Amino acid sequence: MSEEPIVPPTPEAPAGPYVYDYAASPQRQVVMPKTVPLPSYRTYVAEVKAAAEADEAKWQKMLADFETAKAKAEAEGKDAPKPPVRPVPRKDDHDMKTPWPQEAKDDDLHRLQERLGEKVEEIFEQAGELTCQVAKEAILEALQLCREDIAMNYEMLADQTATHYSAATGFAFSVVYHLTSISRRKRLRLRILVPEGFCPESACTVYPGANWMEREIYDMLGIRFLNHPDMTRILCPEDWEGHPLRKDYPVVGWGQRDIAFREDRGGMLERIALQKAGQLGINLKQPKAE
Amino acid sequence: MGINQLSTLEHILITTKVEKVMNWSRATSVWPVTFGLACCAIEMMAAGASRFDFDRFGAGIFRATPRQADLMIIAGTVTYKMAPVIKTLYDQMPEPKWVIAMGSCATAGGPFDSYHTIQGVDKIIPVDVFIPGCPPRPESLIYGFMKLQDKIMTSSLADRYKDIFEEVG
Repeated sequence: MSEEPIVPPTPEAPAGPYVYDYAASPQRQVVMPKTVPLPSYRTYVAEVKAAAEADEAKWQKMLADFETAKAKAEAEGKDAPKPPVRPVPRKDDHDMKTPWPQEAKDDDLHRLQERLGEKVEEIFEQAGELTCQVAKEAILEALQLCREDIAMNYEMLADQTATHYSAATGFAFSVVYHLTSISRRKRLRLRILVPEGFCPESACTVYPGANWMEREIYDMLGIRFLNHPDMTRILCPEDWEGHPLRKDYPVVGWGQRDIAFREDRGGMLERIALQKAGQLGINLKQPKAE
Repeated sequence: MGINQLSTLEHILITTKVEKVMNWSRATSVWPVTFGLACCAIEMMAAGASRFDFDRFGAGIFRATPRQADLMIIAGTVTYKMAPVIKTLYDQMPEPKWVIAMGSCATAGGPFDSYHTIQGVDKIIPVDVFIPGCPPRPESLIYGFMKLQDKIMTSSLADRYKDIFEEVG
């Protein structure tokens, strides 16, 4: 790994004529999500606390209302109103709810926290799955620890993917690394929260299988990874505009266009050829003949 | 003398048009190109295998190169990334050539009313027969192919190259 991280250049998107005017059709408008459904023990505890406080405040208000009504009835010489009964939340054993995040009990999570210290932001378990959220700058260190520590020994990066949280403040994406230890029959999830424009370190040096998955993340969400051997699109065509898995990308409209079979659409192929040749130290740009 | 012997010659001679013979030979030996895009290709393979036996209609020889093929069966979803490839394959096929759009994806985009799918392969290449279904059964493909055979049998060289003839004058 080189000392100075190489920030890959962002290709400029060529403009193209679109088939659909997506803005004109109301049923094809983009609906942005308003919540951040990111599982987190800390958030869950805060939510539970807020709900309990709201419940208590409601009960106190009911009691105060009762007192005023009672005083009013006594003054007017009427019968006293019925005292309020505190509503008990109905319990339903067959309710299929999402399992809530729980406090971390697993040794691996505590080991990670012990080794990485402040760099671990949060550890929790949910439905028997271990999750460790680390600082976005320390992801490579955490991966190396998970792979090389003999007590952890996570040999395989089973999946690496990302999600766009458009309503979140402080970050825009969460990148998750699903690690599997074949020898220990365990799974672990590492998670980083990435703001817009931040380039996390590539996992290719630790897990070579991350190569294509990171390319897919770049293609679909536009997160660029540092020190990646080939940070190009993998699923969409080379001259694609935008990143389709972002929440502000319309399902219909942006990509759909009239197809023109030119040799080089948008000059992108030429640009890529020049870029590749430049990486090899060849100057393909010939001076134009007058 | 020839007139007297015409009745005997009728048993050994057939009189027809060259065009008709050409069409007959073309319609009964249509070679498709080995080319599948999605799940419709599985049904296309089933149609070519022994149970349905596409070869009964002379279309069982799937060629691995477009240069030896007459028919392209677009079996599956056509994405924007695949479109230039399909166009190139179609351009490499020698004339006369035919195209079958198999399944709802190739016909009209199917369920993928989305940013990555072309809403029908007829947006990029001319299509002769559209087969509905998701995916169509091999019987549907065979029926569509028989419709294509009908089309080939009733076609004429003059119609096919009408535009060119008009251009040349």
